[in-house]
Amino acid sequence: MTTTVSTTCPYCGVGCGVNVTLPAQPNGVVPPVSGDSAHPANFGRLCVKGSSLAQTLNSDDRLLVPHVAGHATTWDNAIDTVANKISQVVKEHGADAFAFYLSGQILTEDYYVANKLAKGFIGTANVDTNSRLCMASAVVGYKRAFGSDTVPCNYNDLEQCDLLIMVGSNAAWTHPILFQRIVAAKKQRPEMKVVVIDPRATATCDIADLHLAIRPGSDAAIFSFLLQESARLGLVDRDFIAQHTSHFQATLQQAIESTPDLSTTAEFCGLEEAQLATLCEWWASQDKTVTFYSQGVNQSSSGVDKCNAIINCHLATARLGKEGAGPFSITGQPNAMGGREVGGLANQLAAHMDFATPGALDLVQRFWQAPNMATQNGLKAVDLFQAVEEGKVKVLWIMSTNPMVSLPDTAQVKRALEKCELVIVSDCKAHTDTTVMADVLLPATGWSEKNGTVTNSERRISRQRGLLPPPGEAKHDWWAICEVAKALGFEAAFDYQGVHEIFAEHAALSAFENEGKRDFDIGHYRHISQREYDAFTPTQWPVPEGRPEGTERMFSDGHFFTGDGRAQFIPIKPSLPVQQTTEKWPFVLNTGRVRDQWHTMTRTGDAASLAKHTGQPYVALHPTDAQRLGINEGTLTRISSAYGEVRVKATLSNASPPGQVFVPIHWTQQFANAAVVSNLIPQTVDHLSGQPESKHAVVQLEAIQDLRYGLVVSRRPQCFPEALYWCAIPSDNGFRYEVIWPKGVAIESLKATFTLLETGQIQWLEYNNEATGQRRLACVCDEKLDTVMYFSNRPEAVSADWLLSNLVASEPLSEPDRVALLVGSPANVEDKGNIVCSCYQIGSKQIEKAIASGAESVEALGARLKCGTNCGSCIPELKHFIPKEMELSA
Amino acid sequence: MRSVIAASLRKERIVIVGGGMAGSKLAYELCQQQNKSTQITLIGEEKQLGYNRIMLSSLLANDITQADMALVDTQKMILSGAEIVSGDPVQGISAEDKSLSLHSGRTLYYDKLILATGSRASILPIQGASAENVIGFRNWQDVQTMSAMAGSQPVSVIGGGLLGLEAAVGLAKRGHQVTVFHRSKYLLNRQLDRESARLLQNKLETMGITFLLGESPQALLHNDQGVVSHIERADGSIMATNLVVMAAGITPEVKVAKQAGLQINRAILVDAQMRTSCPDVFALGECCEFDGQTFGLVAPIWSQINVLLAVLAGKHADFSVAPVPTKLKVSGVNLFSVGRIQPTADDNCIVFQDEGSNHYRKLIVNDGYLVGAILYGNVADGSWYFQLIQNKTNVSDMLDLLVFGEAYCQSKVA
Repeated sequence: MTTTVSTTCPYCGVGCGVNVTLPAQPNGVVPPVSGDSAHPANFGRLCVKGSSLAQTLNSDDRLLVPHVAGHATTWDNAIDTVANKISQVVKEHGADAFAFYLSGQILTEDYYVANKLAKGFIGTANVDTNSRLCMASAVVGYKRAFGSDTVPCNYNDLEQCDLLIMVGSNAAWTHPILFQRIVAAKKQRPEMKVVVIDPRATATCDIADLHLAIRPGSDAAIFSFLLQESARLGLVDRDFIAQHTSHFQATLQQAIESTPDLSTTAEFCGLEEAQLATLCEWWASQDKTVTFYSQGVNQSSSGVDKCNAIINCHLATARLGKEGAGPFSITGQPNAMGGREVGGLANQLAAHMDFATPGALDLVQRFWQAPNMATQNGLKAVDLFQAVEEGKVKVLWIMSTNPMVSLPDTAQVKRALEKCELVIVSDCKAHTDTTVMADVLLPATGWSEKNGTVTNSERRISRQRGLLPPPGEAKHDWWAICEVAKALGFEAAFDYQGVHEIFAEHAALSAFENEGKRDFDIGHYRHISQREYDAFTPTQWPVPEGRPEGTERMFSDGHFFTGDGRAQFIPIKPSLPVQQTTEKWPFVLNTGRVRDQWHTMTRTGDAASLAKHTGQPYVALHPTDAQRLGINEGTLTRISSAYGEVRVKATLSNASPPGQVFVPIHWTQQFANAAVVSNLIPQTVDHLSGQPESKHAVVQLEAIQDLRYGLVVSRRPQCFPEALYWCAIPSDNGFRYEVIWPKGVAIESLKATFTLLETGQIQWLEYNNEATGQRRLACVCDEKLDTVMYFSNRPEAVSADWLLSNLVASEPLSEPDRVALLVGSPANVEDKGNIVCSCYQIGSKQIEKAIASGAESVEALGARLKCGTNCGSCIPELKHFIPKEMELSA
Repeated sequence: MRSVIAASLRKERIVIVGGGMAGSKLAYELCQQQNKSTQITLIGEEKQLGYNRIMLSSLLANDITQADMALVDTQKMILSGAEIVSGDPVQGISAEDKSLSLHSGRTLYYDKLILATGSRASILPIQGASAENVIGFRNWQDVQTMSAMAGSQPVSVIGGGLLGLEAAVGLAKRGHQVTVFHRSKYLLNRQLDRESARLLQNKLETMGITFLLGESPQALLHNDQGVVSHIERADGSIMATNLVVMAAGITPEVKVAKQAGLQINRAILVDAQMRTSCPDVFALGECCEFDGQTFGLVAPIWSQINVLLAVLAGKHADFSVAPVPTKLKVSGVNLFSVGRIQPTADDNCIVFQDEGSNHYRKLIVNDGYLVGAILYGNVADGSWYFQLIQNKTNVSDMLDLLVFGEAYCQSKVA
């Protein structure tokens, strides 16, 4: 008997419901997952990443036991090591010598106990998270405007609006299910207008009625201009402004100053006036407007201002708190929102209360019965890693995230982690760019094992359910934190009997002395039982006591969570990114995602099918720039900035204008040797949110010359110490690498290295082409494919699928297949059989076929196939093919 | 005037000298035309006539029987009115009175004379080579001599070219202990490169043949019956042998042509219509030379026959030289070679090598054109490469797949 369990997808912030069918046998194979038709985020749909989840369940790189200083050890020993070191540094250097660096991928309950331990018991607010990199600016934007970190909208608004403005979002790839809902809505109501504001022409532009390819970072000017156009055209809601907001006039005045007219604004944004005018026209004519914004807005040195520029427009026209309208920040991670709810950021205290919130410190201290309350903001991510490098933070516990890849200026992050006295990394993977920096490794449960709650971009809390038993010694993150807390002497406060107790406490804190003062209130759950928790259905917060149905939409009543209950207009001066191009750094670098990978590929990298769309990192650049730099499709290109260097292959694209290039964020050193784009990114942050300007750097590009481009397919993992570039492309069988060496690489010595371990009978096949510069080798061991190496002087596009499938072939290689090893694919070769007529190369199978179709004599065969008509020496053999009765009757 | 009338009334006499493949095939095709106004005479010096000389190797190797040897149906020719004279070599030709005399003393007159006298094995000027157990490998008689030997005797073949190897294999299959002397460093050095020759040698060695490369015999030593019993090698050592097969090349047979005063270089000079320097005398096959080339393979000779058939019928046709692929007629050995074998300075080589399955391919390309190909093991694409060379097909767009064969290149085009 199989059972089907509902859980939530671990990828983006849409938070789709997923149904997983568990095999009857404990070690059975989990079949492909399906979308949960009852989940309000996706109603049964799943994107390609979510659909491939079952493929990611059997990673061969799971971290299975704790490690201390490189050696496997017990949990008891690991926990003692961690607790002792924390005690020591806190005693010697104060609580701020410890820090958590968490992740939008851990569950709310994990977050809650980490936040509680640090802020209430160790006594530091050094609890930051990779959410800092994704939506910190959106949080501060909401808080400045609404007094609380409240997303007003829900997903239905995306379908019900008449004008959807998507800013800095390639939802088609990053939030595919929301995008599909939008596509479906637009199909039903073609009059619905979609505007995409993005310097790059992305897949999302496919449905755009208008694409504004703005100058990078100039977003705020558009909304500044929209605000003053709204006033000029009389679109503003005077009553709403008067009753529910503050600072409208000053904000409008600033908008008029910053963006006085269409032409100034269009020029600032690098747009045609007509394009901007069209947006204004649509903005004026469509009341039901949603502005949908994401990392393109947030990852900016002025990200918070951009958010407020957007919110200002919605406040002025009262386009929020109602159906089909609102400023809608879409988060990138499955539980960035949950982290925000518990206060798991260095500039938050807990449960949507800040250190500066009057009375909050006392309230939380009393609720937690906390002995060592932190009293002020801790260090935000970039500041935190700088403090680590400076030696101020001496123990850093990194959980479920990969800062060696995701934080800007990888070299700085590396220096910090090398300097840090104790780096603790909790992860489900054994090998990440960050686990290699760890002193203590703690094996964590992963999706399908973890149990708890997540909150998606529309405030909807859903359950992630533990479906499969944790492998090895893997433990839940909340358990590891609580064990350390107990070892530190805080037994009573961390003695949870189950994860539902943590959730209940979190809910209780949200309701504690709330009385409507704080937006985040899920008091309904404060006594939740194990059974109720297990039966939890997706619900949008707030869920205060007495309102179990939750809250579809916020601010419908015009009440905000500021001191006076009024929303705040924020005067905005649009500004461009801090770094501008120079002669030395002439290109603007933009970063982002590809369709089928997620974050640092620790999970999506396990699904071979997800590597089909984009198998390797790349730099996309405009053909005009490429031509000038001597770069062709596939040329290995060095991209350098003042901070570091990346080497990836070039792809030519018109998506961005000349002068702008794009590099995806996903590839780590586990998958490629020199593709971590953060190496190029400065640690420039928004001074309000601390969010790095990760989508913007100035760089230079250079075609690397004199190379040997290669493909390696092998039964074994291989390494390429001499390569300038290598990329491991996930595959179901064996190992596949794209490799680029300096021209002089010694191929003969590679042959020996790659087949070192084989003991069977080895045969080498070789192909050498002086005309094309191709050299290809295949190693066949006991008549089966072992390793293939292709070399070429220029980039070659060779499909490795067939080669990879051969690594698991059960039959010895046939002769045509041996040839195909050096081509990469089998030809549609007619199997001629043994050659009988060597003059015309006619084989036995062709002869048999001709006879079967009526050629009854040697002469007839000759007439049809020409066999035997030149030298005639095959005629005796041909005669043997003619069946006796035919010969007689002929 | 009378003689003119007489000539127009009687049949045109076409006499073909040489009953080898070229002569027999031409005679057969002329008979097939059933032209009542011609009289065909075919004269052969061998007793057997009209057989397929190429299959001597197979006959020697016992792969076929004597009944399989026929190239043309001589009975059919006789029934159609042709005269066939065998075992009676031509002694002389008189171009002046258009006649020829046979060994038997008979004199024949012709209106059109076609010389198809073929060639003979070159006998190297080695001391002792005149003994009767030093033979060539050219005709049925040679095969009969070899076939008559009882099994498992030491025999030697001089020359590791096509013919020598075919003889060696045939003798080895008959159970003899065969040693091949070959002057070059590798076998078939005019058709193969070193790599493919090595594969071939490996294969032939498994058949029990011993190779002495880069070596010619110093002397053939006779016993007291005057037959060769031993070979003295270059290093002075002596090895036993009961038969020596000379396969170190062929010499066009031009004796009667020379005596008749025809222009001769290495062979009888002909123009593109196969005309010799003498009116109404033509030549074809291994005895003719056109444009500085002589011919030892069957394909150009078949074209010569077609040209000659047209010319004799009063039509216009031109013979031209095309590259001809080489194959070795040894069962179990697949080998194909055409065009240029050794690359020149501005050629590029494309090589595929799978030693494990004895599969080797080398192509030579020049400026976008295929100019040479060597295939060993799998020769299925040989005729396609041959066409590419012959048709001067530009292969620039398929250089990356060319060596993998037609199927790959065509699927790329498709």
